[in-house]
Amino acid sequence: MASEDEISLLVIVVDVNPIWWGQQGQRQPEFTLSKCLDAVMVMANSHLVMTRTNKLAIIAIFIIWSFIFFSHFFDSRDEPSLGSSDGKYELLSVANDLIAEEIKNLMARTQVKGHQTDTLLAGSLAKSLCCILKKCLAGQDMKSRILVIKAAEDCALQYMNFMNVIFAAQKQNVLIDACVLDSDSGLLQQACDITGGLYLKIPQKIALAQYLLWVFLPDADQRSQLVLPPPVHVDYRAACFCHRNLIEIGYVCSVCLSIFCNFSPICTTCETAFKIPLPQMIKPKKKKLKAAN
Amino acid sequence: MAALSEEVLLVVKKVRQRKQDGTLYLMTERIAWGPEGKDRFTVSHLYADIRCQKISPEGKAKIQLQLVLHTGESTTFHFANESTAMKDRDAAKDLLQQLLPKFKKKANKELEEKNRMLQEDPVLFQLYKDLVVSQVISAEEFWANRLKLSSTDHFSSNNNKQEVGISAAFLADIRPQTDGCNGLRYNLTTDIIESIFRTYPAVKQKYAENVPHNLTEKDFWTRFFQSHYFHRDRINTGLQDLFSECAKQDEKGLKSMVVQGVKNPMVDLLSLEDKTLDEGYGSLTGPSTSNSSKTVKENSNSAIIKRFNHHSAMVLAAGLRKMDTSSDQASETSSTDGNSRDSDTFQPPIKKVKLQEAIEYEDFQNETGPKTIALKLKKFDRYSHGPVPLQSHHYSTSQDIISSVSCIQEEMSCYKPCLTQVMSSSAASSAITALSPGGALMQTGAHQTVSQLVPVDIQSELKHLYTAAGELLRHFWSCFPVNTPFLEEKLISHLEEMIQAAYNKFHAWQMRRMMKKT
Repeated sequence: MASEDEISLLVIVVDVNPIWWGQQGQRQPEFTLSKCLDAVMVMANSHLVMTRTNKLAIIAIFIIWSFIFFSHFFDSRDEPSLGSSDGKYELLSVANDLIAEEIKNLMARTQVKGHQTDTLLAGSLAKSLCCILKKCLAGQDMKSRILVIKAAEDCALQYMNFMNVIFAAQKQNVLIDACVLDSDSGLLQQACDITGGLYLKIPQKIALAQYLLWVFLPDADQRSQLVLPPPVHVDYRAACFCHRNLIEIGYVCSVCLSIFCNFSPICTTCETAFKIPLPQMIKPKKKKLKAAN
Repeated sequence: MAALSEEVLLVVKKVRQRKQDGTLYLMTERIAWGPEGKDRFTVSHLYADIRCQKISPEGKAKIQLQLVLHTGESTTFHFANESTAMKDRDAAKDLLQQLLPKFKKKANKELEEKNRMLQEDPVLFQLYKDLVVSQVISAEEFWANRLKLSSTDHFSSNNNKQEVGISAAFLADIRPQTDGCNGLRYNLTTDIIESIFRTYPAVKQKYAENVPHNLTEKDFWTRFFQSHYFHRDRINTGLQDLFSECAKQDEKGLKSMVVQGVKNPMVDLLSLEDKTLDEGYGSLTGPSTSNSSKTVKENSNSAIIKRFNHHSAMVLAAGLRKMDTSSDQASETSSTDGNSRDSDTFQPPIKKVKLQEAIEYEDFQNETGPKTIALKLKKFDRYSHGPVPLQSHHYSTSQDIISSVSCIQEEMSCYKPCLTQVMSSSAASSAITALSPGGALMQTGAHQTVSQLVPVDIQSELKHLYTAAGELLRHFWSCFPVNTPFLEEKLISHLEEMIQAAYNKFHAWQMRRMMKKT
C-alpha cells in the first residue's frame, strides 16, 4: 500500500503529429485524434482520482517545424474558483477543459513549412524530464513516470539525443512507458528496457482507453503484483557504419571504435592502417617439364 | 670385474663373509665383497645405506667388522689374513669412518628435506599419503621430480646467504678484567677469534704456523696480548716478538694502501688541495709527511692514528674479501683497501652518472607526461546514427501533407471531449481478453490467471468486499450535490458510520493476514 505521503507524478506525452493523424483520419474514420484524446483524458482523470496526492502533467509533442509544446501541470491542491457544470470533481473538469482548449489552439496555429514530417520525440521527453525535475527540486519526494503515446514512426536523426534523454531518465529513476499505435519503435523499446517501464504495441486502436487503464494506470510498485504483458525482446545489435546493416559479429577499429561489417585495411573514419596476418599461401610446386627425347 | 667403473679406494684380501673367503672392496660410493674366484659381488652396500660400523673388541681372536644398515640388517666381515688382519681391519675402519659421514649427511639431509617439504605443504602431504602410502606410485617416483627442485633451491639459497660482517669494535669488546692480583683476564670467544683472523690474516698465519706444534692456544693468545703489536703504541719494535713480523707486514700494507690512493673522485680529499703553477700563482704545498722533526709525542700520536686507520681499513677489507679466497694469504694485505673496487668501476660514463645522481633530484624535474597522438576523425556523423537501419522512408508528397493538416485542423476545431462514449464494451472486452493470461499479448508470459494463483476463499471474500464498497461509494456520490438537509444528514452521520465500519472490517482482515504470515 502506498503511503499517503508519496506523490506519484504521471507525465503523458501524446504524439499529435497532424500529418499522421490526418492520414489516419482518412484511413480509419472510427479512430481519430479526438477519440485518442478522449482516451487520454480518461486515463488522466483516473490517475488523478486514484490518490489525492497524485499529480499529472500533459505534454503534447509536435513536429519538427513548429516547436510549440503544450504542457500543463495539474495538482489537486490548486482549487479552482469556478465550479463545474455537471457535478464533476473540479480538478477533472478543469483538466479536461484545458486540454481540449490547448489542443484546439495548437492545431489552429499550425502552418505547413517544409517537408519534414517527423515527431520531435527526444525534445518532448527532455521537456518532460525538466518538468519532473522542477517539481522534485521544489522539495517533494516524488515517484515519476512518463507515458508516451506514439503514433508516427521513429526518426533516425534523433538517436543521440534520445539516448541521452533515456540515460538521464534512468539516472533520475523515472520510468518510461510506451504505448505504440502504429509501427514498432526500436528507440522506445530501448527506453522502456533501460528505465524499467512497459512497452506495448496495441492491436486495436479503438480500445486504446482499455489498454491504457489496464496496463499503464498502475504505478511501478503495484505492477509487481499484477499479471501484465511480458517485456519485449529488444534488438540491441549494432549497425555497421558502412551500410547501416544490423550485424552480430563485426570489426571494430581500435582507434575510433567505429564498427564495420567487413575488414578493410584502412579505417574510413580515422584513416588508421591495419594489418591482419593472412594465412600462408602454399606455393604450388612447379613441375619440371620433361624434355622430349 | 664387470661394472667396475667406480674408483676403488681400498682392496682387502682374505676377508671372510659367511664362512666364505673373498675380497673386500671399498669404492667411492659403496662397499662390496666378492667371493674368491668369482667375478661378481655378492654383497654390496652403498655408504648411504650404512648406519654405522662396529668392530670387534681388541682382545678377541676374531677380527671382525660389522656394518649395520639403516634397515636393521647387518653384515659381518671377518679379516682372516694371519699377519695383517688387524691392520687391514683398521685401515678399512678408518676409511669407512671418513666416508660414512659424507654419505650419512647426504642421506639425512635428503630425509630431512623430504620431511620439511611434507610438513610445509599440506597439499603435498595429502598427495603423498594418497599416492605413496596406498602404493599407487612408489616413493622414489614421487620424490624423483620434487627433490631435484628442492636441491637446486637449497644450493642457490646457500649462495645467497649473506656473509656475516665484522664488528669494528671486536678488539675493544674483549674488555680485559682485572684478575684481582695485578693480572688481566681476557675473554676470547670463537667469534672474536674468527674476527681477528679475518681482519689480520698475518695473525692467522702465525697461528697456523705455531699452534699446536710450538705453542698451545692459550700461550699463543697470551703472547698476542702481551706483545706490543696489540698495544696502542707500537714504538718498541725491537723486542723479539712473534708478532714483530706482523707489525712489519702491517706497515707494508698500510704503505701500499696510501700509495694506491683514492680513486673515487667524490671522496678524494687530496684533489681538493691547492695546486701551484708557479710562484705567485697560489701557495706551494710543503711535503705532506716528514717524520724526522717530530717530537716523541707527535710520533706516538701519529702511530696511534696510523694504527687506527689501518685497523679500520682491515676491517672493511675483511668484509669485502670472500671466505673462499683464504688460501691466497700472501697477496691479501696489498689488496685490502676498500676502494680497489671503486677504481675498477670508475670509468668516465659511470662517473658522469654518479655526478648527475648527486646533483639532480627527480622531484624537481619538469613533469613530462606521456606523449599522445590526437585522434583525427573524418566522418563523425556516423556515430550519431543509431542502430536504426535505413528503411524506406514513408515519403509524403507536399499535397498529402497539406491535405492531412487541413483535415486535422477541421476536426480539432469542433472537438469536444465526450468521455462517456470513449469505446464500446465489445472493444473493451476483446482488449481484456487479449491482455489476460493466454491472450494475444500475453503469449510469452505467465500462463496462470489470477484466479488460479489466489485461493478461492480469498477470492470470494474479496468479491464481497468489493461489492459492498462499491455500494457504499454509490450512496456517497449520490448525495452530491448536497441539496437537502436529509442528504446532508445522511452524509455526515450515516455514511460516515458505514464507511468506518467498512474500514474496521478491512483492518481486521489485514491483521489476520499479517498474523498468518508471521
